[in-house]
Amino acid sequence: MVRVAGAILGLAVALGCHDAALAYTASGDRNFPATLVLPQLAPGDQTYLNYSMLPQSSHGAGTATRSTNFSAVYGKSITDNFGIFLEETYTGIGIEGGGTQWGWQNLDGSLRYLAVNNLDHEFILSLGLDRETGGTGAARVGASPSGATTPQLYLAKGLGDLDIGYLRPLAITTYSGMTIADKAPRPDVLNTGVTVEYSLPYLESKVESLDLPDVVRKLTPMTEVLITSPVGRSYGSRTTVLIAPGVSYAGEGWEFAVEALVPATSATGSGVGVTAQLHLALDFLFADTPLGRPIFASQ
Amino acid sequence: MKRRDLILATALSSLVPTTGFTAAAGAGSVVGIVGQCLVQRDGRPTPLKLGDAVAVSDTIDVPVAGKLKLRMSDGSVISLAPGTRMTVAAYQTDPAGQRQNAQLSLSQGLIRAVVAPVDHPTIFEVSTAVGTAAVRSTDWFMESKPGSAQVGVLSGNVVLRSGATGREVAIPARWGARLEAGRDPVEARVWAPQEFQAVISRTDVP
Repeated sequence: MVRVAGAILGLAVALGCHDAALAYTASGDRNFPATLVLPQLAPGDQTYLNYSMLPQSSHGAGTATRSTNFSAVYGKSITDNFGIFLEETYTGIGIEGGGTQWGWQNLDGSLRYLAVNNLDHEFILSLGLDRETGGTGAARVGASPSGATTPQLYLAKGLGDLDIGYLRPLAITTYSGMTIADKAPRPDVLNTGVTVEYSLPYLESKVESLDLPDVVRKLTPMTEVLITSPVGRSYGSRTTVLIAPGVSYAGEGWEFAVEALVPATSATGSGVGVTAQLHLALDFLFADTPLGRPIFASQ
Repeated sequence: MKRRDLILATALSSLVPTTGFTAAAGAGSVVGIVGQCLVQRDGRPTPLKLGDAVAVSDTIDVPVAGKLKLRMSDGSVISLAPGTRMTVAAYQTDPAGQRQNAQLSLSQGLIRAVVAPVDHPTIFEVSTAVGTAAVRSTDWFMESKPGSAQVGVLSGNVVLRSGATGREVAIPARWGARLEAGRDPVEARVWAPQEFQAVISRTDVP
């Protein structure tokens, strides 16, 4: 039972409990699209809805066959560089021989501070502090009675300042976070992730204007990788590795993205899943209202 | 501003008869000046001073050590940063002082335009070598450099259109975007406070 609970918890960490993501972030002429698996980089006024589904290896009656998550996130900037986020996720765990168990994950909130934004070099460094409130979700879907706190570090670099021709639209972002549980039997977990993306809007606007169809010009193919590893006593939790190749489409003030979810370890899943996300940039859509501006804006 | 509004405004402005509107004589006047700014009129450079009129077809040169502020006939205020060269290509208002058509050509440098609102579809347009920005009413900046241009918006909305590809990007308040010669506009983004502060200080005319 502990092992099943650990597997579900690991799954939840991998999918349902990704930290509050924020509006897509820009540095210089580089826009880093909103990611679906990894948290975003910096504070902003935004909201998004995320759906994900990942098949699980069933180990017999009573074990999970599939995980489904619906997440909603709201982000509010307090100042130009600092913001808060709230996230809630509704999870369905398909149980072998037992239908699907639905329930809420723990309420999640986080702070985010944009510490460095080097416009010329398309480089961002930001810091986060995520807090999951234990006992606010349903244990039947893996929500832990124990809360957890996750200090986070985000780095992002666009390659547009390098003399590498058609590779200039490439960008890399990384995420590191250490989830420290409030109490046993929840394990501490090290979260690491990386995103590699190639921005066709950047190609068209900064490198060379190619005669691409309109729908293609706004695409950013990207691949995310998220690794979670228990640190110290695992309580049955195991390392998960999730690879998510996909594409993001950028509209005016919104993005829609779809990615495949490819588990690379048996603890992550047993088949290819999918995730989709609709992201609304409130700071674009409601730019002249309090909804779209930092509470304490300098301009 | 919605793109369809801009298209409508453009279409309507082309239908507006030119008779009955104030044109060359009353395009604007100098309300702030630093350094020896010049107006090129009929091929002759003439120093500007406070209160001087600016007319359609005038080209204004602001030296590296100068700044200039104009109040246009519709109430819009245009501030020119050091090293700016701008031509008043068209500036039409109706008898009530409402803007009908305003077109400026920014050869180089930086301007800040606080565009007066009007109660009918019209446009305020600034062209550079690489593209054009159009608004209805807003407070915004446009800078022209060799091979590129950029727009920053303090309030309202601006549409920046590439002269080469015809593609546009909408820029709301607190956002900005760049445009490089022969390419699509760069995706708009939130401008950092220091970016706004830089253009504000360059166009701030005492």
